[in-house]
Amino acid sequence: MFYLRYLRNELVRRRARTIVTMLGLGVGVALVIVLSSLSNGLDSAQSKTLDPLADIGTDLTVTLQPQQQSTGGFGAGGGFAGGGANRDLIQANQSVVTDLSKLGKPGTHFVHDFFLPGTQLTFPQTQAQQIAQLDGVAQVTTGLTLLADHQEGVVPKIVAKLKTGGQTFSITRNIARPTAAQFQAMQACFDKLRQQSGGSSSGGSGSGGSGSTGGGLSSGSGGSGGFGGGGGGGGFAGVGRGAFAKCLPASLRRLRTRFTTPQQTITQALNPPQTNITSTAYTIGGVDQAHPTMGVVTTAQVTKGRFLSPAGGTEALVSTAYAAKHSLKVGSKLVLNGTSFTVVGLVSPPLGGQSADVYLPLKQLQTLANQKGLANVVLVRADSSKDVGAVKAAIEAKFPQAQVASSKDVADTISGSLVSASNLSHDLGLALSVVAAVAAFLLAALLAFSSVGKRVRELGTLKALGWTQRLVVRQIAGESLAQGLLGGVFGIVLGVAVALLIDQFGPTLTAHSTTGGDLLGLGARTARTATQTVSLNAPVGVAVLAIGFGLAVLGGLIAGTAGALRAARLRPADALRQME
Amino acid sequence: MSTDGTSTNGLYSLHGVEKFFQRGPTTVRALDGVDLEIGAGEFVALEGPSGSGKTTLLQLLGALDRPSGGEVLFEGRDLAKLGDRELAELRLRSFGFIFQQFNLIPTLTALENVEAKLAPIGDDREQARKLLEEVGLGHRADHLPAHMSGGEQQRVAIARALSVEPRVVLADEPTGNLDSATGGEIIELLSSLAAEHGSTVIVATHDATLAARAPRRLAVRDGRLLAAAAV
Repeated sequence: MFYLRYLRNELVRRRARTIVTMLGLGVGVALVIVLSSLSNGLDSAQSKTLDPLADIGTDLTVTLQPQQQSTGGFGAGGGFAGGGANRDLIQANQSVVTDLSKLGKPGTHFVHDFFLPGTQLTFPQTQAQQIAQLDGVAQVTTGLTLLADHQEGVVPKIVAKLKTGGQTFSITRNIARPTAAQFQAMQACFDKLRQQSGGSSSGGSGSGGSGSTGGGLSSGSGGSGGFGGGGGGGGFAGVGRGAFAKCLPASLRRLRTRFTTPQQTITQALNPPQTNITSTAYTIGGVDQAHPTMGVVTTAQVTKGRFLSPAGGTEALVSTAYAAKHSLKVGSKLVLNGTSFTVVGLVSPPLGGQSADVYLPLKQLQTLANQKGLANVVLVRADSSKDVGAVKAAIEAKFPQAQVASSKDVADTISGSLVSASNLSHDLGLALSVVAAVAAFLLAALLAFSSVGKRVRELGTLKALGWTQRLVVRQIAGESLAQGLLGGVFGIVLGVAVALLIDQFGPTLTAHSTTGGDLLGLGARTARTATQTVSLNAPVGVAVLAIGFGLAVLGGLIAGTAGALRAARLRPADALRQME
Repeated sequence: MSTDGTSTNGLYSLHGVEKFFQRGPTTVRALDGVDLEIGAGEFVALEGPSGSGKTTLLQLLGALDRPSGGEVLFEGRDLAKLGDRELAELRLRSFGFIFQQFNLIPTLTALENVEAKLAPIGDDREQARKLLEEVGLGHRADHLPAHMSGGEQQRVAIARALSVEPRVVLADEPTGNLDSATGGEIIELLSSLAAEHGSTVIVATHDATLAARAPRRLAVRDGRLLAAAAV
């Protein structure tokens, strides 16, 4: 067929033009394909991530959060003054205060996990039954998510050395005066002693002394004057010192008194002992294993191994991230306060929900954490999606303190590069696709037009040969169509290749959600952040390929036909004249 | 003013033909009242300098354009009154053009260039090959125009023009891009083949020696035909 050979020759023998047109169209088509695929990929990643409650078969989550007191001044103090829930919360979270003595004798190695309720207050599981009875509620299950503090180390010995003693005390005491009877006895004793010694002392002085002594005795009842006065001393002068002592009554011979040292408090700051106790925080969730499709974690999230058995033995599920960090596998043992749990499965927790690192059967966790019969989250499934709003309102009315979160509320707390990228792709992706498509279109049109413009003489010749306008246009449009096809095929190859490259090496996007928060200064302890990483991929849909391909073909065809019509409309004489 | 002397069975009959071109604000009178009769089988030379109007006259004769005034009767039909499709049909079956610049399609081989004329009637490779052999280019059938000399290219153009056995061959300065020896060969070939195929030949040229070869010479000056230069 001549026309087809002509067409092929045009494409093959004007290779540079053909390749430029093909590349231009192809890049445009590839851009459209890549951008819309990327947009699709982000959308699906977002809808998967941002509809977290659907993953756990739940429409609403109900938690009991302490009401934030808006008292000024000292936050914690105000909190206490406000009393109620806040105090409960602080007390509950303070149970971790490490009483080292309870961990064992100094020097013994210990491993202990403390479980704290975080910002979500616990409540009796029986309250969940009240929710279950509300209209529109299909199913209710409870869960318990706790902050866990894993501590491990050696109980330290605390030794303090205190030195006491070595103090000197000075004491002054008045000795009690001898009674009259004692005095007489002493007198008699002295007299006797004097007689025995036989006036060895001088007479003069003896009489004087006697007189003075007598005077002293006579005025004894007056009570004045020292007993050991100079005159008296003179009176005893004749008596030996040893003999004199014998005359003293017992009370004067020995001083007996009671003495209490002053009270004294010795204060010494003791440096805390060096310990090797390490503390690791993680989150732990109690799962109602009887409801494997609905709960804090569900069978849908098991990536390896299996879900907890309905019997609820000492089994545990571990999040993939936690498992990787602590090199846990299905079959590993996890010892919590002396109880050994077998890891039966790895799960990837949903974003924004009650995600935790470790999941145990609810009863097991309640026992471990000493929270028997308590839960801190109720998961509610409504009869139908229409009922969600009504159920939410009913729960809020019945439990004013409850925080009821729907899927959308949870999604709103999610942030991160995935969300930004997805928003970006929504806003910009479409615009970019359109720009790329228009650019490809324009390029194709420009090339087709310039190609026709350069061939006016050729087209004029064809008309002079007797080709009808229809025939000329058909030939040129055929060429454009062929170029569009080539460009479309090239664009598809390029677009798919780029999309595959993105899948292969594409950046990872993350999404975060934080539950809890800096409440009452508990801050970091209670904030619980879940991060989900989504590898960006660009799934290429058949529709996208078809659209990109169609754009290229249509663009080439329209541009080529327009150009050909312009040339073919020229009267052949004018077309030929343009050659000169 | 008729210069018709030898017309026999009236192939062409032109009366008061005018052609104006609008070049900006000025109107160019390319043809200013031409009366002409041409009979079948004639070999006519339109002789004149550049801008005299001979090319315009040739284009009107070849149904490449319509006159601004007057009538161009071809076999009794007024070309000014025919539609585009009918004109295309006439060009296809009744006329063969030969241009100064050869006007071969650059992406087609010699053979394919001849086929381009035959294609709308029905592709006939053998007819095309036979014509190429008649112009002595059977061995160059698969060569592209760019690889051929000017004389060879013009021979391809002659083969193309004659391939549909046209009533008229219209040649516009067919030797203008050729040296005089080659030009002479081309004119020889054209006249002998036209005689063989029974085609009328009308050649526009400014070359007096070339015009001298034609049995009938018409001088064109300023859009008018001068007195007969016929031998």
